[in-house]
Amino acid sequence: MIIFADNMRLTILVALLLVVAGCSPNGPSNRKELTLAVVSGVEGDALKQAALDYQVQTGTLINIAQFPYASLFEKELIDLNARTGAYDLIMLDDPWFPRFASEQFLTDLTPLLVKRGQPEADGDFVRTSLALCRHPYETGPLYALPYVGNSQLFFYRKDLFEKHSLKEPLTWNDVLAAAKTIHEKETTGANGGQIYGYVMRAAQGNAAVADFMPIFWAFGGEMFDAAGKPAVNSPEGIAALEFMLELGKYSPPGYPSFNADEVGAHLLQGTAAMSINWPAWISRFSETSKSKVTGKMEFTTLPGAQKSGQAEIGNWLIAIPRDSQNVEAAMDFLIWATSAEQMKRSAQRGNPPTRKSLFYDAELLAANPAYPAQLSSLETSRPRPRTPQWNEIENAFGIFLSKANSGELSPAEAMNQANAEIEKILQRAR
Amino acid sequence: MPKSRRFFSARVKRDLLLPALFIAPALAVLLSLSIYPLLYSVTISLQQQTSTGVNWTFGNFTRLVSDNFFWTAMAHTFVYAVVALACEFLLGLGLALLLNKQIRGRGLFRASLLMPMMLPTVVVGVVWRLMLNPNFGAVNGTLKQFGLDTENLTWTASPRLAMLSVIAVDVWQWTPFVFLVLLAGLQAIPQEPYEAALIDGSSRWQTFRHVTLPLLKPAILIVLLLRTMDLLRVFDQIFILTEGGPGFATETISLYIYRTAFRFFDFGYAAAMSFVLLALTNIISAIYIRFLQARETV
Repeated sequence: MIIFADNMRLTILVALLLVVAGCSPNGPSNRKELTLAVVSGVEGDALKQAALDYQVQTGTLINIAQFPYASLFEKELIDLNARTGAYDLIMLDDPWFPRFASEQFLTDLTPLLVKRGQPEADGDFVRTSLALCRHPYETGPLYALPYVGNSQLFFYRKDLFEKHSLKEPLTWNDVLAAAKTIHEKETTGANGGQIYGYVMRAAQGNAAVADFMPIFWAFGGEMFDAAGKPAVNSPEGIAALEFMLELGKYSPPGYPSFNADEVGAHLLQGTAAMSINWPAWISRFSETSKSKVTGKMEFTTLPGAQKSGQAEIGNWLIAIPRDSQNVEAAMDFLIWATSAEQMKRSAQRGNPPTRKSLFYDAELLAANPAYPAQLSSLETSRPRPRTPQWNEIENAFGIFLSKANSGELSPAEAMNQANAEIEKILQRAR
Repeated sequence: MPKSRRFFSARVKRDLLLPALFIAPALAVLLSLSIYPLLYSVTISLQQQTSTGVNWTFGNFTRLVSDNFFWTAMAHTFVYAVVALACEFLLGLGLALLLNKQIRGRGLFRASLLMPMMLPTVVVGVVWRLMLNPNFGAVNGTLKQFGLDTENLTWTASPRLAMLSVIAVDVWQWTPFVFLVLLAGLQAIPQEPYEAALIDGSSRWQTFRHVTLPLLKPAILIVLLLRTMDLLRVFDQIFILTEGGPGFATETISLYIYRTAFRFFDFGYAAAMSFVLLALTNIISAIYIRFLQARETV
């Protein structure tokens, strides 16, 4: 009984303390405070580090909310929709941006720049990166600044290309021919097994779509025609999917369920010779503990076909929610974090920059020999179709691409069904 | 005013006040965490967001009718639930009968059988995803050792094998639960009916059919009911193993609801689908209870 009474007393005490703590003001009121929503992984970690530096330099109190990629979008959208003003700065993957901007969730940055004597966003940002931050694309008001400058690259095994005197993969036909040769000749490769000519991600959803878009665009496909109607089942689109299946013949079995990890593993283990991939993987090829192909990889821009090759862009942007209570302080931080000096530190932490000058920075160039290829890929890259319904469209399109790759549907059937489904999604949104 | 005051006599008031006070916190929690969200989800299932504002409509429910993805996901859910439930029940019952006997190392068997159930589903998903990888996975690696051609055994990537794979993983993880409940049921059966059956000279099959099964019925009912409800809303292991793929081959209704709500942010449509699933689960549960209770009284 005595023990019980003691426990009771303790519980009440703790409860009272919690209440008191909840009532006390959050530090001195003149002190600025910023709350950031960032993504887990290298992109978010770099911003988190920068924010902590900023706290030391300026005394601004920084709160970080870090979420895995899969839940960041829903956390941010729910929060911004409910207008809680919980976040002062948010990281956005660029395909999410049209949805946030079209629902007017974000602060227009131009007036804030003007106030600071800068009528326009810095001309040093890569054009394609900055264009993502405007809504409508490239022409509208500025709602974000680009922080991480990812765009796809073409990865291939230089040593195997030399060994079989293969032509540099400038077009998708070069790629197919090389894949065939390597597949046929390298049957006792690095691990005594087959080296597959090509490897791709064809798991439904984002993966299949991301690996297909560069082929689709190169073959002349367009997701929407001039009138804005879906057009993935155009002859060019179907030809592109047929070509993807052709490449699939030289890909490891099971590729219709592959995601980034499986593709990365095949490349690092030396069991596949070519792939479309993202810059974040480059550094792993020089770590001998992870890579069996150190020094054998080449990174270049995407191959072309009827049209010249274009990569899909995948930048991380930083924006200020409309309902932030600290817009001015958030803008100060945003300008600071995307300045050349800070972005260089982010690049040293492993993130491709979005400023041209940094791609020519001698120090960074020495550590990142693929920077010239990355810059030219980024400058010629294309965004995913800019629509607020992108998540839903990508999901549906990815399902049918995956179905074609796993043999459930013919390319023409898959594209026809995908087109009908995309049409339905657009109709519902109207 | 005086009239309404007299509506409750002072004594009744006193008798009601204290219990009401005691119930109040539980009631408040129930109302705020369960009833209110339920009613709220009813209202959002009847709303559609348009460019001009919110519309009150049955549109979310009529959209269900023509949504191929919805019906395919429903069909997958039922295939998944029926096959997995049958396998889990038969295996679980067999194991429970076996390990109800005095055999050597019974404790060890029982303990090791429970392992899969104790692992978090997400861990199970990741482990199996790696094991089923066609190139580096342990499953194909082992089969290769036996000289089998594993070239076409792309477990999670072929539309035919993927459903089989996700079902197998569920069976692996949840058979122990069925086993555990049935074993407890078996151990609760008294010895007397068996002795009587022995005296009557019934065969082992007859004893099983007419003594064990009827007396095990309550345990069977509980385990079937719990597993069916779980299977109908399966989410995590499929999400990790295949994410519903390849294509749409293993997309179940929970995954589709999740995607609709949190990827496409169409909460109204997701709520409508959830209500259909809820109704179906309720109907199936009611059938179970009817069926098993009816036979019990015969």
